[in-house]
Amino acid sequence: MSTERNAAVDLPADGLVAVVKADCPTCRLVEPVLAALPQVTVFTQDDPGFPAGIRDRRDDTALDTSLALEVETVPTLVRFAGGRETGRIVGWLREEWQEFTGVGGLGADLPEYRPGCGSRTLDPDMAEELLVRTRGGSLRSRRLEIAALEDEVEALYDRGFSDGLPVVPPTPARVLRMLDGTSRRPDEVVAVVPPNLVEATVEKVAINAVLAGCRPEYLPVVLAAVEAACTDEFNAHGLLATTWGAGPALCVNGPIRAEIGMNWAGNALGQGNRANSTIGRALQLVIRNVGGGRPQEVDRAALGHPGKLGFCFAEDEEGSPFEPLAQSRGVPAGRSAVTVFAAEGPRGLADQISRTPESLARSLAQGLRSVCHWKLPGGFDASLVLCPEHGRTFREAGWDRARLHRELDELLLLDRAEITRGAGGIAEGVPAGGSARPIPKFRPGGYMIMHAGGGAGMFSAIVGGWAGGPGGSAPVTREVDPWR
Amino acid sequence: MAVNDPIVILDPTDESAADSRTALERPTSLDGLRVGLLDISKARGDVFLDRLAELLAERGITVRRYAKPTFTKPMPPDLRREITTHCDVVIEALAD
Amino acid sequence: MHDFAALEGRGVIAAFLASTQFVVAASAQARALGYREVPAVFVPHPIQDRTDSEVRALADAALAEIIAAVTRSGQGRR
Repeated sequence: MSTERNAAVDLPADGLVAVVKADCPTCRLVEPVLAALPQVTVFTQDDPGFPAGIRDRRDDTALDTSLALEVETVPTLVRFAGGRETGRIVGWLREEWQEFTGVGGLGADLPEYRPGCGSRTLDPDMAEELLVRTRGGSLRSRRLEIAALEDEVEALYDRGFSDGLPVVPPTPARVLRMLDGTSRRPDEVVAVVPPNLVEATVEKVAINAVLAGCRPEYLPVVLAAVEAACTDEFNAHGLLATTWGAGPALCVNGPIRAEIGMNWAGNALGQGNRANSTIGRALQLVIRNVGGGRPQEVDRAALGHPGKLGFCFAEDEEGSPFEPLAQSRGVPAGRSAVTVFAAEGPRGLADQISRTPESLARSLAQGLRSVCHWKLPGGFDASLVLCPEHGRTFREAGWDRARLHRELDELLLLDRAEITRGAGGIAEGVPAGGSARPIPKFRPGGYMIMHAGGGAGMFSAIVGGWAGGPGGSAPVTREVDPWR
Repeated sequence: MAVNDPIVILDPTDESAADSRTALERPTSLDGLRVGLLDISKARGDVFLDRLAELLAERGITVRRYAKPTFTKPMPPDLRREITTHCDVVIEALAD
Repeated sequence: MHDFAALEGRGVIAAFLASTQFVVAASAQARALGYREVPAVFVPHPIQDRTDSEVRALADAALAEIIAAVTRSGQGRR
């Protein structure tokens, strides 16, 4: 018990203090006992007229004193000496009360023992209010009022906080509960968010995570995602401002996937899993609300895609023929991480016949080649999400991720004659002339391979990206644990 | 919390915008905009709006006229749909 | 006021005309709907018992303010 807190609520420096509530049978039982004590200050949690016969009876219906004393049970009897607490008892035990108060014969006609009742500060219906009262002061964001006649969901649309789907009103209590998901302080800066280059605090990210529908345990992933997306390499500003339609996507690795119930199995890239759906959405809402990146404003996408509401999934590490993506990108094994990458909507790639890794790799290469334009090399990044039934072929052949990359790199060397402007009757392409050497479809490191999906279906997915590398966007991986 | 207490939320933005709802950004003039006059159906309001329509017409602004079935209730959805489809600007009159 | 909120919420610029009798009520409604201020134009109360020519004169007098309420020229005054 800190003396500062005692000072704030005006407790006597010396003597006895009791905390009671009329709703508690034990408190009512000891009513005459309290009245019989020569000197006691009684704080009452519910009925200010209870207990009777007390000279120094104080109204604690606001529970300030009960909170300051950290009362969990009523009745509680506390002794102060020289401004410090020197002892405390709870409930009713005759002998204990007699000894504690030094008053003999106390409550002689009462039963010897009755347990106390729960303090009102622990009532579930008080929890929300007390949470805000005790910790709301740590929140720095501007308070906005939704007026009495406004529908709160409509009000959040009207104020422009939504991506088009309903958002959860970020009340102080919800934001405080969200902040329980991290040990970081609310005022810590997570990142400087483009396009307006606004510092996003842990609190601002938590508010947007509430809007998005996240649970508190998702918050560390959201924080790591915001950190990753706001790096110079990822270049969220460029990705937003381009007329190309890609947006940020997230792939989550490590133990946190299972801890927060993410989906990496059937429909991993689709709807239906709260963590997958809301983590990606929270990142996009941070970019919208904190960074100011809104469609038809700084977001200049000609078309965009539905995954720009939020695109997040977990990698299937357990069933993967490869080491986890994050590990291939430098994160130590067994650690949780999130990788952000530029993504269009995923497009299925069927191959139900290939039984050799060589044949299957050729199919995958053809799919990857179509990203951006079949005749355009070198510019755009991409991702390949390998489904388990395709992954099996590579596992059985002993191909690891690096081997598949090497084979695909070979298969994705484009013949200049095929891609020259005008070739195939298509004006688009690379300018004629120059060297006759084949041109790689992707820049070095310009595509990632991930593993996810349901156990049945020989359907992988190609996810187009955006201009890769300096001037464009490169995937960025950040560990989650520092944000827990 | 009382039923009519406002709900307090925390601002998810960079806090550069006004903290209450604000009316839409206004155009510099009414030129070329579709203007509607909405009669809330209180006595004498039609006379006022007739004159207002004349005055606007003198300034080259033609208006569409609408009337609520009753001033005692918000406009019905079909009227709202009609107005939002056909008007950029609406002047609602006349509460007395 | 509800009509104002419904229209503006759907992208239609709206203004609201009332007699001076409604100044307090309109402002209370506006606050209840989350607006601090609303583009309203108030004409002298009463309306209902006036002659046609009196009502027309009120419209003449209010015109500039009505146009200001729905255009940028009025934004400084709201």
